[in-house]
Amino acid sequence: MRVFWELGWFFKERRKHYALGIFLLLLVALIGVLPPRIIGFVVDEISRGTLTPAFLIKWLSILAAAALVMYVLRYIWRLLIFGSSILLARNLRKQLFHHFTRMSPAFYQRRRVGDLMAHATNDLQAVQQTAGAGVLTLVDSLATGGFVIAAMALTISWELTLIVLLPMPILAYLTNYYGKMMHDRFHGAQLAFSGLNDKTQESISGMKVIKTFGQETEDVADFVKKTKKVVDENIRVARVDSLFDPTISAVIGVCYFLTIGFGSYFVVNGDMTIGDLVAFTAYLGLLVWPMLAFGWLFNIVERGRASYDRIRVLLAEPADIDDRKDALDVRPAGDIVFSINKFQFTGDDRAALKDVHFELKQGQTLGIAGKTGSGKSAILRLLLREFENYQGDITFGGKSINDYKKQRLREAIGYVPQDHFLFSTTVAGNIAFARPEATMEEVVEAAKLAHIHEDILNFADGYDTVVGERGVSLSGGQKQRISIARALMMRPELLILDDSLSAVDAKTEEAILASLKQTRIGETTIITSHRLSAIQHAHKIIVLEEGSIVEIGSHEELMNKKGRYYEMYELQQLEALVEQGGEA
Amino acid sequence: MDKQKELTEKDQWLVLKRLLSYLRPHKKPLLVATALLVLTVLGDVLGPLLIKVFIDDYLTPGTFPTGPIVGLALGYVFIQVSNVILSYFQMLKFQTVALVIIQQLRIDVFTKVQHLGMRYFDKTPAGSVVSRVTNDTEAIKDMFITVLIGFIQSTFLIVGVYIAMFFLNVRLALITLLLLPILLWIIYIYRKYSSVFYQDLRERLGQLNAKLSESVQGMGMIQAFSQESRLQDEFNDINDKHWEAGKRNIKIDGLLLRPAIDLVYALALIMLLSYFGITSFDNVVEVGVIYAFVTYVDRFFEPINQLMQQLSIFQQAIVAGSRVFALLDEKEIVPHQLDEPKKIVDGKIEFRNVTFSYDGKNDVLKNISFTAEPGQTVALVGHTGSGKSSIINLLMRFYEYSEGEILIDGISVKTYAIEELRKKMGLVLQDPFLFYGTIASNIRLYNEHMTDREIRAAAEFVQADRFIHALPEGYSQPVTERGSTFSSGQRQLVAFARTMAVDPKILVLDEATANIDTETEVAIQTSLERMRKGRTTIAIAHRLSTIQDADLILVLHHGEIVERGSHQQLLKQRGLYHKMYLLQNGIVE
Repeated sequence: MRVFWELGWFFKERRKHYALGIFLLLLVALIGVLPPRIIGFVVDEISRGTLTPAFLIKWLSILAAAALVMYVLRYIWRLLIFGSSILLARNLRKQLFHHFTRMSPAFYQRRRVGDLMAHATNDLQAVQQTAGAGVLTLVDSLATGGFVIAAMALTISWELTLIVLLPMPILAYLTNYYGKMMHDRFHGAQLAFSGLNDKTQESISGMKVIKTFGQETEDVADFVKKTKKVVDENIRVARVDSLFDPTISAVIGVCYFLTIGFGSYFVVNGDMTIGDLVAFTAYLGLLVWPMLAFGWLFNIVERGRASYDRIRVLLAEPADIDDRKDALDVRPAGDIVFSINKFQFTGDDRAALKDVHFELKQGQTLGIAGKTGSGKSAILRLLLREFENYQGDITFGGKSINDYKKQRLREAIGYVPQDHFLFSTTVAGNIAFARPEATMEEVVEAAKLAHIHEDILNFADGYDTVVGERGVSLSGGQKQRISIARALMMRPELLILDDSLSAVDAKTEEAILASLKQTRIGETTIITSHRLSAIQHAHKIIVLEEGSIVEIGSHEELMNKKGRYYEMYELQQLEALVEQGGEA
Repeated sequence: MDKQKELTEKDQWLVLKRLLSYLRPHKKPLLVATALLVLTVLGDVLGPLLIKVFIDDYLTPGTFPTGPIVGLALGYVFIQVSNVILSYFQMLKFQTVALVIIQQLRIDVFTKVQHLGMRYFDKTPAGSVVSRVTNDTEAIKDMFITVLIGFIQSTFLIVGVYIAMFFLNVRLALITLLLLPILLWIIYIYRKYSSVFYQDLRERLGQLNAKLSESVQGMGMIQAFSQESRLQDEFNDINDKHWEAGKRNIKIDGLLLRPAIDLVYALALIMLLSYFGITSFDNVVEVGVIYAFVTYVDRFFEPINQLMQQLSIFQQAIVAGSRVFALLDEKEIVPHQLDEPKKIVDGKIEFRNVTFSYDGKNDVLKNISFTAEPGQTVALVGHTGSGKSSIINLLMRFYEYSEGEILIDGISVKTYAIEELRKKMGLVLQDPFLFYGTIASNIRLYNEHMTDREIRAAAEFVQADRFIHALPEGYSQPVTERGSTFSSGQRQLVAFARTMAVDPKILVLDEATANIDTETEVAIQTSLERMRKGRTTIAIAHRLSTIQDADLILVLHHGEIVERGSHQQLLKQRGLYHKMYLLQNGIVE
């Protein structure tokens, strides 16, 4: 029940809704004791033969009024309580999303997308249940149970009430016991189901192997075995599940038996009327639900607590990179001095960068070459201020990048990542991602610069074609060029191309580089690439190996040196030749 | 979220009918369960009748002769006890039938999946196929167990209750029949609106989750372009709409579910009491009859309440069912074989002018012709996308070709029974897939009759035994999902052993590109040599060093054979192969 306490802030926030909702619930429970009582009155009059039309009309009108009032009140409390619970889910979801936007890439490396999604879906669902059905069950079962028992004891006979209630704890005990049995067996059924799921997953992933060895039939046989297990485990569940209803009707049957037996005795003795007896049996029917509800309640609350704990832990994670108090609120511009003595990713004891020092004048282009894992991306990620735990400093326009507001620093950098991620929106929407207010002319201009305009015109809906997960599938090269157009839209002070020309052909690459050179006069560019053709025109080229600079200079200087760069260059010329089928 | 086209009422009805057709083979257990159900309903109906007799014949007059009273009491107890037992078995029986039906449906779907052509898997993500086999059938299971069984049980109960009421008082029973159209109307209205609202809620939830998942995945981009607040706004907008949809659902549920049914229940009580009250003005009314009617009416409202709450399960099951049936009706099946009882003896392979396209538009293989004489090795080289794998895919009959002919021992591959092809052709994939199990089970696969000795022999033949012996549990070493605990070289060796264990006539190799440690590499090379001995081999080579002794090397480029010959001949040509060779050896001229 602790979770109710932990969610107290929300109940307080919505105290009017909850207070009124609970009040109405209590009212409904109270009015709910009327109908059986009215049945009793009428039956009494009938059995004595003293029923008058006036009496009948009076009580039936009350019954009708009670029913209508209950209908309206039930509707209202549902709106209040369930409405609040989905509001809680909405607000928590909003908080989570807001929180996600503040978390650094390190966080996303640590947490899997699936887990984060699970928090925002299943866990929220469980918390919503607690604040809705949980509250309802708690209040309603206590209120209905209490009022009905009170009505039985006070208006009919407390002796009979006591006798008849005797078997009820047995019902509560048994259903609780079954619940525990169910829990274990249900777990078994779930295991069998996920076994089936794994099996299917594996068969489909290994489809070629299965086909190669002609073992389709055998694989189906194995699958059948797994489904048999699922059936068996579920029958184990069904064995317990099927106990609930008969047990309830057995215990209730005993109660009825006691009611009729002892009730008749009281009737004969004149302590009770026949109408009382009929009313009493009707009350009994009302008691079943509160008894069962309690078992349920524990279930809901238990799940809700675990889920809410997980959400709170997640929300409590601090954003690891925040702006300094007196951070500069200007968009950085100017020379870049990169001076890192040592940097390592958390959880990796090897240095990702070691003694990397270079200077880049405003308006210059820097090329970075090196194999995967040589530290190219690490340099870019430090520039983007994704990490702060390094020895050394990076300055942009004479000031450390850590002194700028993160937002302003990012405004100055147009980043085209390796894994070109596009959003599920139109091509135009993707290009104008950073500046949604941009005009169509600007979008088209950026697309032309990135040499994707012609491709876009060939799409079914041109610039309005939806791309991304649920849209048309684009080639890697098209995605890369859209990513470049997207970055160009920012008119960034510093443009970073992180190996983002790898999937376009040599001719397009050249054309893009040429148009960049033309339009980005006075603006700084950093290009990393496997393919040296993308960086050979840079003012300065650095060659990285295992996190350190092994060569630095212009293309001509490095070629003359006949070192690593020269070797890489020659081999790539050959490779290009092979890809073109051997003819130059 | 799968995009699902709107199902019309007629489609829904067809899906339901087809789902119900799965009941047909289970007539007998269903009949038993229904018989039990009839008995329990009988018990449910008889109990109140006995009490009615007691109230009217003994309690009201106040006479309690021992014999009849004991008889009534015993009768009541007997009915209750047998009812408890019968209803237990009735419910268990129904659930068992439902489970067995779902099992059959699952087997049908899975078998179908096994017979789909590779083309289907190219265009369908694996996750969604898995979902068809497991999650969708699970949704159908929920429907069978909760909705369908509940529906049968409540129908019988309602019929039983009405029969008892007619037996007690025909006029009143006729009056209470008026309740039925009201209830049906509420159910109709609820289903009509809730199916729309509920569908809307689910769609919005889908959008919400899609937005969330996309944003989490693209968070790096969002942050790099400082679009956090815009994305927050967009998300909040979807979140708010989802919330609105949720509110609409709460309203419709509040208006038409339990509160409404309880209102009808009150109406029923008013009808009963008015009838008895008015009758009592002129005649004597038996209290027991009132009691019985009140109890009966009370009985039949609960199942209706429950059924209505489960309508959404029904809706989901229909959608799931339509997806499952779409898969079952899928026409993209494996290439057809003529199944003639021919045997592969020599293992001669010939490609004659084969042209092939995956999508029917772009040819990935153009006019490919070559011959591999029995025992020869033909190597395929070329960069990514040159068509090497497609040649293997066609030879293995993963895809159907339309132009040209592929012959084995002079007869079209289409002629042989698929079993014969699988038995005589061994394929080792580039990424050797290991199944969950043990090393031994991965070599044996499903060949139950393969002895441990044969497994060891195969492993020794490919020199996998050395690393296997070094494992703590040797051949019984567990293999986890996809064999991720083993190096790619070790996986390759196990895959070799798996292939050698069936001793194929023809060997088809797709060489691994992944980094393999030198020690394993040596083992792999020697085993490859041994494996190729006496077998016709078609090998895709990524490292030219491994195929220098091949009888014929085909150099592919854009789906065409641009050079062919032995290693030495090709080097002399100083063409593409020569350049690839230089490149791989890191030689700068």
